[in-house]
Amino acid sequence: METAGKQYHIQLKRGDVGKYVLLPGDPGRCEPISRLFDNPKHVATNREYVTYTGTLDGVPVSVTSTGIGCPSAAIALEELVRCGADTFIRVGTSGHIQEDIKSGELAIITAAIRDEGTSRQYMPIEFPAIADIDVVLALHAAALKSGAKFRTGITQSKDSFYGQHEPERMGVAKDLLERWRAWQLGGALCSEMEASALFVISSMLRVRSGGVMMVHGKEPMPPLDILLETAVGALREVIAADRAKGRPVTL
Amino acid sequence: MTKQHHTHTQEGDVGRYVLMPGDPGRVPIIAAHLDDARHVATNREYVTYTGTLDGVPVSVTSTGIGCPSSAIAVEELFRCGADTFIRVGTSGGIQPGTKSNEIAIATGAIRHEGTSLHYIPIEFPAVCSIDVVQSMRKAVERLSLPHKVGISHSKDSFYGEVEPERSANSDELLEFWRAWREGGAICSEMELSTICIVSSLLGARAGGMMAMYGEGEFGPLDNLIKAAVESVRELIKLDKAKER
Repeated sequence: METAGKQYHIQLKRGDVGKYVLLPGDPGRCEPISRLFDNPKHVATNREYVTYTGTLDGVPVSVTSTGIGCPSAAIALEELVRCGADTFIRVGTSGHIQEDIKSGELAIITAAIRDEGTSRQYMPIEFPAIADIDVVLALHAAALKSGAKFRTGITQSKDSFYGQHEPERMGVAKDLLERWRAWQLGGALCSEMEASALFVISSMLRVRSGGVMMVHGKEPMPPLDILLETAVGALREVIAADRAKGRPVTL
Repeated sequence: MTKQHHTHTQEGDVGRYVLMPGDPGRVPIIAAHLDDARHVATNREYVTYTGTLDGVPVSVTSTGIGCPSSAIAVEELFRCGADTFIRVGTSGGIQPGTKSNEIAIATGAIRHEGTSLHYIPIEFPAVCSIDVVQSMRKAVERLSLPHKVGISHSKDSFYGEVEPERSANSDELLEFWRAWREGGAICSEMELSTICIVSSLLGARAGGMMAMYGEGEFGPLDNLIKAAVESVRELIKLDKAKER
C-alpha cells in the first residue's frame, strides 16, 4: 500500500533509507542514535514511526522506530524492505529471564520464542524465529570492541508487558507462570516484545535481522550508551563484512 | 558410574564433541577420519567410536532415525561428559534449484515433530549454536564446497514428506510444505530440532550439517564427512582461543 509514492505507515520511499537499518522500539531514541551516524537527517515521522538517515564509512544507514509490539514492528519491517532495506538490527531494552543477569548486560540474540500473535499470521508455529548469522557475528565483534559485558542467546518475544510483570492478576496466571518457568529452563536470556516477528518475517522476505538488547535485572538500569555504541558498531562490522564478500552495500 | 541404559557408554568413553549420524553403519566410516579411533559401544541403533582431532577427544554416535531415539542419545551422551552435538547426515532439499550433494548448514530447525514438545512449549526456537554454525561455515568455505546456510525442517514422517498424497491429512502436509519453502527453509530431515531443543535445556551446544538430495544424481558422502570433521577441528580451535 502506498500513498503519493510513500509507504502507507512509515511514510518513506525508495532512496529515503539505506540498506542497513537500526530498529529501536521507542521513537524518542531515533534522534540520539542518529547522532552516532555521519550527516544524519530527519526523513519522516508518522504515528510511532520516526526515521533518520545518515552514513557510516560512507554507506547510507538509517534508524526507524517500530513502536512497542510485534504488530507495529511487522509493518515497519515490511515497508522498509519495500524501500530497499535488507539488513536490520533491533536495538532496545528487555527484562532478564536468567536470574543471574545484572542490569546493563547486553544480550545478543540468536533466536526468539514466538510468544506472540503476529508471526502466526505469517508462518505455522513450528517454524523457528532465527537471527541472521552475519548480523549475530557483527554484533559479537562489535560487543568485543565496545567492551560491553554481553551474553549470546535466546529472547522471549511476548505480546503483554504486564502479563510478564504482574502475571498473578491475569485470568491466565497459571499458564503465564508455567511458561515463564519453561523459558528459564530452556536458557532464554531476556524478554522483549518485537524480535520474533522481525526474525520470522525476515526469513520470508529473504532479508537479514538480528538484535541486541540491554537487559534490565534487579538493579536500576544504567544509561544506554554502550548499547547504542555496540549496535552502531555492528552496522560498521556488517558493512565491512559485506564489502569483503563483494555484497553491494548501497541500493 | 554404570553404563547408560541405551547408548551403553559411560563417563570417559566419549569426548566433549560428538558427531551424530542417523545411520549406525556410517559411524565407523566417519570415525576413520579421526586419529586413533576405537570402537566403544554398540547397543540397539547406537554405535559409538571415540578418537581424537588435534589431540582432543572426539566421538561419533549414531542416533537412529527420528527424534525419539535422538533425544535419548543426546541425554545419555551428555551424562557421559559430552556437550557439543553435531548432526551429520542426509536430507531433502526444499528450495527449488538445490543440487544433489549440496551441503546444508543449519542455523535452526522447524519443530515439526512430537519429541521436543515433551521438553518445552512449541513457541521456543530450535536454534543451533553460533559457535558450531560459524565453524561449519569456515570449514565448507575452506574446502570450497557448494552450500546453503539456513533453517532445516525436522519431521516425524519420512513417507508423509515424500508421498504426502497418501496421508489422511495430505492437504495439511502440502500446505505446511509450501509454508516451509516460502519461509526459506533449506532442507528436510528427521532429528535436528530435538537435538537443538534438548541441548538448550541441558545447556549444551548443537548443530547440523546435511547433504541435500536435489537435482541430479546423489553421490557418496565423502565431502560431507570431510566438512563435518573439519568443522569440529575449527570448533576446537575456536574453543581453545576462547579459553585463552
